[in-house]
Amino acid sequence: MASAANLNAVRETMDVLLEISRLLNTGLDMESLSICVRLCEQGINPEALSSVIKELRKASDTLKATENSTS
Amino acid sequence: GSSITELLGALCDTCVSGVSWKRRAWGTASRERVRRALRKRAYGALLAKLFQEGSPKGRHGPGPIASTPPRNKVLMISFDLRVAGYQEEAERLEELLGMLGDGSDSGLGELDSVLELLVQLAGSVPPPPASF
Repeated sequence: MASAANLNAVRETMDVLLEISRLLNTGLDMESLSICVRLCEQGINPEALSSVIKELRKASDTLKATENSTS
Repeated sequence: GSSITELLGALCDTCVSGVSWKRRAWGTASRERVRRALRKRAYGALLAKLFQEGSPKGRHGPGPIASTPPRNKVLMISFDLRVAGYQEEAERLEELLGMLGDGSDSGLGELDSVLELLVQLAGSVPPPPASF
């Protein structure tokens, strides 16, 4: 019972965090936000994690630009 | 739970989720190569930041903004939104912040870290187009 209550608390918190994330224009969807939350829970520094996300976006933009120019 | 390696891999995968691999001329080998390249960049960025924190320059202690609690940083963003004329968004942001319990109520152990991440990523993508 306690774990079900905890699961509900986590779900509600995630919904609130996603809405905050959207208002702040962070670009995170629920899937990436969930992964980030788990990485934070594993002790990854949030500033370092934000650098990783920005770097991955640059790389994926380059990849998508290449895709558009070759299709 | 998943390991950091698995989670970083999953994060890399979300970045290329919109890419049509079938249309790409290079095939499956390319998909794996792209994944490896993304992981390399992810670890590069992560380690660069961690080493920076351990450097003599990073050991002078956090500045006043860095040491501000993330909830206060969100309130500072809310203030900026108000000043910029986004009254409704600012009010909703403050309301949402109030809805977040502390660490134990929220079910998350690192709620402040997640808020700090959102602050760090704030404005990193353009706002959605206004709907009329």
